[in-house]
Amino acid sequence: MVSGPPRTFGELIERHELEIFRYALRLTGRRADADDVFQETFLAAFRAWPPPRRGNERAWLYRIATNKAIDNGRRSRRLVSVEDLRLAAPERDGVTTLDLAAAIRALPTGQRAAFVLHRVEGLPHREVATALGCSEEAARARVHEATKKVKEAMA
Amino acid sequence: MIEEYVRDARDHLVARASRGSLAPVAYGLADSPFGPLWVAVSPRGVAVIHYGGRPDESDLERLVRTYGPGLVPDPRRTDAVRRELDQYFRGKRRTFDVRFDLAGLTPFQQKVLGATARVGYGDLATYKVVAKRAGNEKASRAAGQAVGSNPIPIVVPCHRIIASDGTLGGYSGGLETKRCLLDIERAGDVPEGGWPPARRARAQRRS
Repeated sequence: MVSGPPRTFGELIERHELEIFRYALRLTGRRADADDVFQETFLAAFRAWPPPRRGNERAWLYRIATNKAIDNGRRSRRLVSVEDLRLAAPERDGVTTLDLAAAIRALPTGQRAAFVLHRVEGLPHREVATALGCSEEAARARVHEATKKVKEAMA
Repeated sequence: MIEEYVRDARDHLVARASRGSLAPVAYGLADSPFGPLWVAVSPRGVAVIHYGGRPDESDLERLVRTYGPGLVPDPRRTDAVRRELDQYFRGKRRTFDVRFDLAGLTPFQQKVLGATARVGYGDLATYKVVAKRAGNEKASRAAGQAVGSNPIPIVVPCHRIIASDGTLGGYSGGLETKRCLLDIERAGDVPEGGWPPARRARAQRRS
């Protein structure tokens, strides 16, 4: 794959579609909502082309996706299917994925996004901050608070 | 399963981007006896056919310069050219119905490739003849370069253009590919190394 900034929408899609869909699924917990968030994210990115800074399109996309997921969450309050939860849930250390997914779903949106970006997607705090449009300290605090809540829920 | 979800989401995204005119160019892969071909279709027609699974840098640069960044993977919009290519490779098609798009090339390149496109199935022409048909008989070297940089091989049949000495000349997909294409069209009448001068006129007359 060619490195450097994406020159076409197709390159942006091919590089990031899987992680953005996974992220959308983890934030929304439902395939149809993830599909909407995925589409809205990329369409917004196309309309705002080019990406803001060379090589930084990943955090840019996460930021758009986070905002779209929040918008989507405001619009829809629907039940989450077991199958979608299973997919949305990260698999970790023997805890049942369904329990963990439920614990993540119970988090407030900002903490949920911070938790998924850092603990599941593995982004450093600096990139979580860029994606969420907050300071690095705030991102760190959100991850910390979310982790505490998830641990309590799993205890 | 997640891959299936992503594939569906991508299809929905591409359909919306295309409806909203955000994505004027669609691309995809076509099968060929020589491996995958990267094809791109613009609103004017087929804009690129490239030997290989990834786009050529100069093709990509031309598409972005002409149409902006709105290139998306969309198998549906590349269906027609993929189907016609398949029929051609199976010997079931002699002319292409899909339109082609030379936008972004120089006027001379467009003239040379336009002349190339008029060389019929199984026929041959030299670079010199193509230069003449493009309006400049003395520019056979430049015509050779224009033919060599043809972004739409097969549909614009640059494999039918040979050197004045009867040898096969060059080809973006490799000389073996050029020979195979001529084999398909001429039922195997492609001598090793090309056509010696004595046989060249006869070969060119054949149709």
